[in-house]
Amino acid sequence: MLIAALRKELLLQWRTRGQLMAVFVFGAAALLLFSFAVGPNAQMLRMFSGGFLWLGLLLSSTLTLSESFHSEMENRALEGLILLPSSSFALYYGKAIANWIQLTLLGIALVPVMVVLYDAGTTDLLTLLLIIVLGTAGLSAPGTLYGAMTAQLKAKQTLLPLLLFPLIVPALLASVKATSLVIHGDPMNQRTAWIVLLAAFDLIYWSLCGLLYGRVIED
Amino acid sequence: MSGVVVGGWEYVWAAYGITGAAFAIYITSLIVRLRGARKS
Amino acid sequence: MNKGIWFIVVGVVLLLIGSYLGLFVAPAEQYMGEVQRIMYVHVPTAWNWMLAVIFTFVAAIAFLFNNDYKWDARVEAGLEVSALLATLLCVQGAVWAKPTWGVWWDWDPRLTSVAVLLFATLGIIALRQFVDDPRRRAIWSSVATIIASVDLPIVYYSVKWWNSLHQQQSTPETVSSQFHVPLRINAFAVLFLMIGFIMLRSEIARRQLANESADGWNTREAGELA
Repeated sequence: MLIAALRKELLLQWRTRGQLMAVFVFGAAALLLFSFAVGPNAQMLRMFSGGFLWLGLLLSSTLTLSESFHSEMENRALEGLILLPSSSFALYYGKAIANWIQLTLLGIALVPVMVVLYDAGTTDLLTLLLIIVLGTAGLSAPGTLYGAMTAQLKAKQTLLPLLLFPLIVPALLASVKATSLVIHGDPMNQRTAWIVLLAAFDLIYWSLCGLLYGRVIED
Repeated sequence: MSGVVVGGWEYVWAAYGITGAAFAIYITSLIVRLRGARKS
Repeated sequence: MNKGIWFIVVGVVLLLIGSYLGLFVAPAEQYMGEVQRIMYVHVPTAWNWMLAVIFTFVAAIAFLFNNDYKWDARVEAGLEVSALLATLLCVQGAVWAKPTWGVWWDWDPRLTSVAVLLFATLGIIALRQFVDDPRRRAIWSSVATIIASVDLPIVYYSVKWWNSLHQQQSTPETVSSQFHVPLRINAFAVLFLMIGFIMLRSEIARRQLANESADGWNTREAGELA
């Protein structure tokens, strides 16, 4: 059941991959705007590059997360899905995993933009990938749950970020800190602690949101 | 930072004043809203 | 009028007594000077904010378990009261920080966590405004409250670690040991106020919910409220 849900989500994402491209451009534009906000100071830009990357990713996620419910809303398909004898767990995790994959791809795509704009590169790409994977997981879990709620409301553009942003503060802090340590050097190996915090956040929210999703979409 | 903080009464008044005002306004709003809500 | 009004009356009286003692009778603290007196309202507000958050969390769980709308009324009340107390905490904290550290905000982990949860609470209050169906509104705000409440300790620890490299000193937890009395009196004062607020605000929510049913919602559930 989960596999079926996941396949459906990924298929939908593949069909609308043009939109992901547009969101990538949005994210890259955000990174550019951050540079203008700070000024052409190479040192400062490099110092805050981790923060900019994750802010750009966070802003982009509000677009992809609400978009991911578009098909359900279009044809009132959400109600149809609930009628199926499938568990809400499959529906939730299928969508959350698909959103996670989408955000990870977005994150990976934004890394070269960060490297070029802020002169913020690193050779430790594997750790960077790990941080992106864990950080986007932290965005996707609550984001999918709130996306389901707000998709059905008139003020969805405002409510999704309003609800999501305060919640993911720990994930944001940890991702930014870990990314910055990877870029600037980490003599005391602090990044492990941040990665562990990120993993703990993910564990808690992937469980909690999965448990509560059924109540959110019930009728 | 060590040493003695000198004066500062205006901050103390500000803190107590804002706290008191906030509670007074909220109490008033509760009473007004309670009167407004029809008893069913 | 609701019984809650008596709690408020007691609370106001206690607050006046405690504040008088804290302002005029308690001696000035050794290093912090007069500014330390702010703690006589700040610490009681902080304790009761925490209680309000816990109350709202418990009410949300209670609603999800038994679908009784009196718990939803309590969630609505708890959200508003904890938002009020959180806002007060941030303002009191800023007013205390300026003369002490020279800045309005010093990223103290406790106050920063309060600010984050304040935004989360305001978000949930906004959510309630936009959902017309009372059942959905109740379920969704309970879910959102649980999610946000669980986050509070995580936010606190992450901000604490995040700030640990830069933090010079943190807000003193204990008030000058010379005079606990105003602190205790004000703690009970704000407690009584908070209880009164929640009782009155729940009643308002309960009546509004019942009126919604009179205007054409599920009469069975409405009957349970009347």
